[in-house]
Formats: sequence, structure tokens, C-alpha cells
Amino acid sequence: MTPGAPARDVSRPLPLLRGARGVFDLALDGMVWSRRSLLMAVLLGLPVLFGVLYRAVLAAKLPARVTGFDLYGVIVAFYYVRNVLPLAALFYATALVADEVEGKTITFLLTRPLQRSSILLGKFAAYAATTLSLSLPATVVTFFLLATARGGEGVGARVPDLFRDLGVVALGLFAYGALFTLLGVLLRRPVIPGLLFLFVWELLANLPGYMPRFTVTGYLRSLISHRPADEGFAEIFGQVLPAPLCLGVLVGVVVVCLGAAAWIFSRREYVLDQ
Amino acid sequence: MMTRSRFVVFLASVVVGMGVLVAVGALYLHPARAAVGPLPGFGLALPAETRFLIGFDARRLTASPLYARFAKQRAQGRPDVFRELEEKTGLDPERDLDGVLIAGLGNAKESGVVLVQGRFDRSKLARALETEGKQGLTWKSHAGTTVYLFNELAKKPGALAFLSDDTLLIGTQAAVETTLDSHAQGRESLRGNAGLMTLVEKVKPGSAFWMVGDQSLLAQLPRSLPAPGARRDRADGPAVSLPALKSVIVTGDVDPQLALEIIGEASDEAAARNLADVARGFVALVSLQANQKPELKELAAAFSVATEANQVRLSARIPHEVLEALRPKPAAPTPPTATK
Repeated sequence: MTPGAPARDVSRPLPLLRGARGVFDLALDGMVWSRRSLLMAVLLGLPVLFGVLYRAVLAAKLPARVTGFDLYGVIVAFYYVRNVLPLAALFYATALVADEVEGKTITFLLTRPLQRSSILLGKFAAYAATTLSLSLPATVVTFFLLATARGGEGVGARVPDLFRDLGVVALGLFAYGALFTLLGVLLRRPVIPGLLFLFVWELLANLPGYMPRFTVTGYLRSLISHRPADEGFAEIFGQVLPAPLCLGVLVGVVVVCLGAAAWIFSRREYVLDQ
Repeated sequence: MMTRSRFVVFLASVVVGMGVLVAVGALYLHPARAAVGPLPGFGLALPAETRFLIGFDARRLTASPLYARFAKQRAQGRPDVFRELEEKTGLDPERDLDGVLIAGLGNAKESGVVLVQGRFDRSKLARALETEGKQGLTWKSHAGTTVYLFNELAKKPGALAFLSDDTLLIGTQAAVETTLDSHAQGRESLRGNAGLMTLVEKVKPGSAFWMVGDQSLLAQLPRSLPAPGARRDRADGPAVSLPALKSVIVTGDVDPQLALEIIGEASDEAAARNLADVARGFVALVSLQANQKPELKELAAAFSVATEANQVRLSARIPHEVLEALRPKPAAPTPPTATK
């Protein structure tokens, strides 16, 4: 506060965005420098190691028809979109509120002159910054390592796929993040239900008919252009949903889940165990 | 003051920003047209009147064990025509071809065009055409490219031209010139055929071969087939009527087994069920012939028919051994008759 400036009315909470920014700074520090981030960095960075290995050793040994770009497509379609990104979202987003409750620090947070929704918004922004900072560079580096393994020819034609993949990675982190934030606000122990959602409910995406529309991964898979050969039901029934529908639904999931989480968090009484 | 965590976020942003800049640079320097499904970028220069498209991944097909098995048995080595072709043009189809795209056009003037992608010795090929080409071969310049014309005075002269250093364009003169015009002007004229584009986008990626056809092609197919046991030479005999298809997508692979998938879109659910029943009937007929040829039973078992709303899906997974068993065996040479 600058000298001579009128004193702020401390009985009123800070404006939404200003409060969120303060929470963002605090939460970002705790999120980036944590063991969780170290583990996620390793998981998200594994394709980069694979890319290095491919260029150094595997490119000469694999059949010519398997190109580096094909492998990049497999990494994006299977490794990132179906596994690591949802897991990253689960472990970060469910902890936004649940960690504060479990650590019994929620009381200190709620007694600050902050709107509850700005607390959630700030923490969600920190989650987004952390996960995007880990995943997007890994995707870019993996792309260049694999797509240029046999020379730069043809990379220009692949660039739109890179941009699309970056968008899908970001949208996936936002969508799963919003969903698991809501889960974290609703439940005391949200990780197990989150895992069940990811590895049981999301399997509906492999079924025919309208079932994939009840999953998040069904929309994400439809947005990326990589469709490597799959096995089992996914191979037989895999369907591609229209892109405008996918974008609309995923943005809707973010808005609805975050909105619901903010609403519930604003009204919920947190009674800590003694 | 930048905290450590903000520095990490900043560093990540720099990496992503640099990657995006390099990517944009690559796009600017090598503005290769993005493909649509399995259709390579240069294929978008095909005319919008295209009724069907057939694509082969020649590299995958020639590298497959199936090709090796059948090629070995057919020719005991390379066919003479491949050897001659390589000597005259430097082109080895088994080594130098990457992909083939066949486009069938709707009008009588422009029947069709074939795009062949691979590694060509352009000068050697051109010299071979100009010096050893057949009688009736002429050439002219069109859209900045030399177009070789076969039987220029005929009703539908054939033509050959290089779309680029690695893409050969062969077809009727009208179709070749139309495609060259679109390519030279950077027009993606095939996008004007929205129906066909939608089908191409649905082709299963990674297929070794594929085909899509829209309603304009399928309307020309026969609407009935002779019923089993009916005489083919009698038009008024019993027949099985086939529901009209709105579109068809065929995809396939040859490794590790011959995998085929045909998706037909019927006008409604009832028509799809009807067509599925016809398909199942034919599969059952094949199975009934198993007494004469046991391999037919395995062949019939390899097929499955399913419907989903107004779509019929016919899938087949045929092991190479079954194909081998079904191939007609060469007739045994008759022993010379003994003379007294």
C-alpha cells in the first residue's frame, strides 16, 4: 500500500481477481516445488527420453514404415491423452482443497479477507500453470525429436498436428482439472473415486453408440488427429465425434464443474476433526 | 521479483514459444499441404467431380510378408517388366514407390487419374519417354509442366505429367490438365466435394489400402443380384434386391493377416439390416461350400457382419495361410507319353 493512499476497508474481502492472484502466487510455490511435481515431471518427460533414445538407437533398427511421427502420434493418443494427463489432473486438482482440509490449514485460508471463489480460482490457476508448464514443453520437444528423426522434410505438413495436440493437451488438463476440482470439493477422499472414474467409467469411450459421449476422453480423442491402431472394442467401435461438439462439451465441462465447485466451496462448512 | 516457481513457468513458456516459432518457420519454409485423413496434400488438387478414391500404401504392401510370399511364388524373382522398367527409367516399383492414389471422375470426358508418389529419376524417366516412347506419343507444356500425351487424336487421350519431383500424374488428358491447373494455382479443388471429404476423414488411419465412394458412384451399382441357384442368363429369374447405399468406406491391412473392413451407409436402419442379412447370407453360402473346399469354411469364419443405426460393417480377418490354400494351384505338367 502506497503512503498517503486511503486505507483499504479490511472488513470487505479483496476483489475476486486480486484475491485470486495472491492465492495463485502462494499456491504456485507450493505446487511447483513439490514431490508431486517431481513425479509428474518424470512421467510427462518420459516421451522426451524416448525421443532421444529413438534418435540415438531405435531409428535405425525399426522398420522404415514406422516413422518417428507415427510414434509421436501413439505417444500423444495413448500415453498423454488417455493416461498421464488425466492422472496429472487427478493428483493435482483433487488436492486443491482436499490437501488443505487434510492438513487442517483450511481454517487459516478461510479466515483471510478473501472470497472463497477467489481462493478456488487462484488455486485452479496455479494448477493450470503447473501442469501446462510440465506438459506443453514435453509435447513440443517430443514432437521435434521424433518428427525430425529422418530429416526436416515434411515437418511443415505436421506442424498443424502439433498445434492441435498442444490445444488438446491444454483443454484436457482444464477439463479433467475442473472435474477433479469438483470431486475434491465434494469428497473428503477424492483420489479413489477419481481413479475409478478414469479407469472404469472412461472405458465407456470404447463402446458403440452414444456411450462415448458420456466420457471426457471420448471428446478429447476425437479432437486429436492421431488414431493409431487400437485393440479390442476400441478398434472395432472407435468413433470420432464432431469437433465443434467436442469443443463445446469440453468447455462446458470446465465452466460447469468449476462453477459448481466454486458454488459448493463458497457455501460449505468445513468442520475439522479434532 | 521473480520467484523460483514463476521462473519455472517462464522457462516453460519460453520453450513452448520457441517451439511454436520453429514450427511456424517450418510451416512457412515448407508449406506442404496438410493431408486429409490418408489423402496426401497433393491429392486435394484432384477435381471436385471425383466419385471415388482408392489409396495404396505401396511401401507397406511391398514390405509385407504377404507380398513377399506371393511375389516369390509368382515370379521366382522379379518380373521381367520390372527389370526392363528399371533399366530404361531407373524406377524400381518395389523400391521406389511410396503410395498410389486412384481417383475416378464423374464425367465422360475426364474418366480418371492416378497419382503415384515415390522417388523418381525425373530426367531419366522423361528421356525414356521421349526417346523410347510408343508411336503416337507427343508432349506439350501445360501449367508450367511437360505433359506427355498418348494418342492425342483419340477420343480420350491418355496423359502423364510430373506434379512434383516425387509425384507422377497419369490419366486422361482432361483430368491430368485439370489437376495440374489446380495444383499450379494452389487450389484444393477436391475440398469442393464435401461428401467425399467427409468419407476420407473417416478412413481408419494407418490402413495399407483404402477406398471411399459416395452416392454418385453407388447409384450406378446394380440394385439386385441373381438369387442362389438362379440362371444368370435370364433377366427375369429370382433375384436378391440390394438396398441403395449412400456411401462406402473400405479399409484394409495385409500384415499380420489380411484385414478388411467395409462400412456401408444405407438410407435407414431397416435398409442396413436388410443389407446385413444379404451379406450374412452370402457368407453362409460360402460356408456351405466347405464340403468341396475346407478352406472356404475358414474363410467364412473370418467374416463378421454388424449393423449400427444405418451403417453396415463387414469385417474380415483372413490369415495368410487361408489365402494360400485358396489360391488356384498351377496345373501339374503332363508327363510326356512314351513312344514305342
